[in-house]
Amino acid sequence: MSKPAASAALPIAHVALRVLIVLNWLAGAAVAAMLVAPLTGRWLLHAYHLSPSPDADRLVMACRAIAAVFLVAIPLHYVVLKRLLAIVETVRAGDPFVAANALHLQAIAWMLLALQLLSLVVGAIARAVSTPAHPLHLRAGFSISGWLAVLLTFLLARVFAEGALMRDDLEGTV
Amino acid sequence: MAIAVKLDDLLHDRRMTLTELAERVEMTLANLSILKTGKARAIRFSTLEAICGALSCQPGDLLRFESEQAEREPIAR
Repeated sequence: MSKPAASAALPIAHVALRVLIVLNWLAGAAVAAMLVAPLTGRWLLHAYHLSPSPDADRLVMACRAIAAVFLVAIPLHYVVLKRLLAIVETVRAGDPFVAANALHLQAIAWMLLALQLLSLVVGAIARAVSTPAHPLHLRAGFSISGWLAVLLTFLLARVFAEGALMRDDLEGTV
Repeated sequence: MAIAVKLDDLLHDRRMTLTELAERVEMTLANLSILKTGKARAIRFSTLEAICGALSCQPGDLLRFESEQAEREPIAR
């Protein structure tokens, strides 16, 4: 019963990851366009129902800074998705316990760590400009589950490295 | 490697080919070749048992420890 579910999960994961890679680049392009577009400031003021003022300028600046941080995250997302895709490919090929996958997982763990740090930066920016009158609610900042995911991925990378060594030993056994 | 596999000598003494041994012990020729050429990292007890049975020998006849230091300095005296 678990076999058909597993065989369906891999093609779904493969397609989902490819779609996410494209969406990630599209999101990056959209945010980059917003950053350079001359009317973005005015659009933000309109969205927050603000009239031009120093507070409003700070909010616009903060939004631009957050957008810039988001742009930094785009290549990090890409590395995570691309490496995950490579792991899925090895699972599909029937040989996931290889040293390359341990390296993929380690790279993913470092990217997740960097993303958590970026999230802290975004959370700090949002807190700095948020006022009771114009609160800036963003799902950013410290996240226990996010940091747990980082830890788990580093551990998983180590498990895969050990698994690959054991697999190597097994292959040299007659 | 410090452990030398003496399968070649044993086969020669018994006038047996690797293919014949592979058939007797029900192993693939490729796996026996890995063992014969000293490329194996480990050997299962079941493999050792089958080979010793087929060649009527002891594990010590098949494997021998050769000190790597002795290999580097063959005739020092």
